[in-house]
Amino acid sequence: MKILDEKPEALLKRAVRGDEQAFLALYQKHQSALYRYALRMTGSPWAAEEVVQEVFLLVIREPQKFQSERGELGAFLYGVARNRVMKYLEKKPREASLDRMNEDGSAWNEPEDPLTPMMIAEKSERIEQVREAVLGLPAEFREAVVLCELEELSYEEAAQACGCPIGTIRSRLHRGRALLLAKLELLRDVPRRASAGAK
Amino acid sequence: MMNCEEFELRGLDVDRADGDPQEVQAAAKHAEVCTRCRALLESWREVKGDLRILRESTRLESAPARVEMRLKQELRTRREARVPRSTVAIAGWALAAAAVLVGAVSWGTSRRTRHQEVTRHEATVPSASAPISVFPEKDALATERESRVRGEPKKRSGRRESAIAKDDDTGKFTLLPGSWPAETEEAAVVRVRMQRGALGALGLPVNQELAGEWIQVDLLVGNDGFPQAVRLAR
Repeated sequence: MKILDEKPEALLKRAVRGDEQAFLALYQKHQSALYRYALRMTGSPWAAEEVVQEVFLLVIREPQKFQSERGELGAFLYGVARNRVMKYLEKKPREASLDRMNEDGSAWNEPEDPLTPMMIAEKSERIEQVREAVLGLPAEFREAVVLCELEELSYEEAAQACGCPIGTIRSRLHRGRALLLAKLELLRDVPRRASAGAK
Repeated sequence: MMNCEEFELRGLDVDRADGDPQEVQAAAKHAEVCTRCRALLESWREVKGDLRILRESTRLESAPARVEMRLKQELRTRREARVPRSTVAIAGWALAAAAVLVGAVSWGTSRRTRHQEVTRHEATVPSASAPISVFPEKDALATERESRVRGEPKKRSGRRESAIAKDDDTGKFTLLPGSWPAETEEAAVVRVRMQRGALGALGLPVNQELAGEWIQVDLLVGNDGFPQAVRLAR
C-alpha cells in the first residue's frame, strides 16, 4: 500500500513516532491549502509561512490535540490555522501603519479612490483587485469567501474548519459576497448593480 | 418560487456543486423574471470568474521549502531526543533490577554469614557450649586448689590472671566486673593483642611487674559493643 493511500490518522500516528515519510506525506497533502488559506486571509506570505509552520509544529508536538472522533484531520488543521490567522489579524492593526504605506512613504489609499480603478485594465490587475478586495473584507466574511469560494470547500467542511454551524457559514458567505461585489464595483467603477446585500 | 430577499440570501449558490437542487431551480426561475436579481447574479458570476482566475493563478502556491526543512529538523530533533529517553528508561530499569539482585544476594550472604557466625559463636561462647565463670575469684581459688592437688607451683601473677590463664586452658571466659551472663548470648569473640596492663582498664587486677608484657586475649563483646568477658588466647 502506498503511503498516500493510508488513512490520515495512521499517517499521523506514524509521524508522531518519528516516521519522516509519513510526516512528509501529511505535510504535502495539507500544506498547500493551508498556506493559500493563510495567505488569502493575511495577505502576507511571511505570515502564511509562519501559520503553516505553527500548524505542523503543533502536529509534531501535541498530536493528542487531534481527536479523530471530532472530525477530519484536514478540518482540524484548518481550525488550527484559523486560530493562528485570527491571532495574527488581531495583532495586525498595531503593525499595519508600516504595511499600509506606499513605497514613497505616503499614506496608502483605500480602494474607494475612484481614480485608482481607472488605471486598471489588464487581467493580472483584475486578479490583484480581487485579491485586494478579498483582503479588504472583515475577517469572518473573508474567511467564508476564502474557504467556500477560493478553496471550494463545502459548507459543511467550512463550518467544521471554522467551528461554527453551517447556517453561520452561509450567512457570512452571503455578507462576504455582497461586500466583495460592492468593493469590486467600486474598484472597477461599474454601476452598482449588486449593492443590495452590502448595506 | 423565491422572492428577492430569499434570492439575495441563497440565489447566488446556483453555481455551487453542493447547492440544494430545489433552491437552485427556484433561484433560476426568480432570476428569469426579476431583472434586479438577474443583474445581481450576473455581477456575481463575473466576480466568481475573477475568483476562479485568482484561484487558478494561486493553485500552485505553497509554503516555501524552508518550512518543510524546519519541520523535518524539528521532527528529527524530537526523534533523537526520544531515543536517549528510552535508553535512559531502559538503563534505569536495568539498574533498578541490578540493585534488587545485589540486595538479594548480599542479604542472602549476610544471612549465611550470620548463621555461620552464630554457629561458630555457639561453639565458642560459653553460654552455648562452655560455661562462663560467673565468680572468677571462686574459680581462681578452685584453680589454685586444683593446682595444689596436682602439686603445681603457685603462679606469680595475681589470682585473676591465673584464673584467666587457667580459663584459657579450659576454654572458659571470665566475666568482667559488671557483666551479666545473659548479655553474652549474642556476643562476638574478638581476638586482640594488648599489654597486660590494659586488663586493668577492664577491671581486672594486674601484676604491675608484668604490665608491659604483650598478650593476646579473646574479648567477648556484647551486642552493645562493650566487652563482657575475657580469656587468654591459646
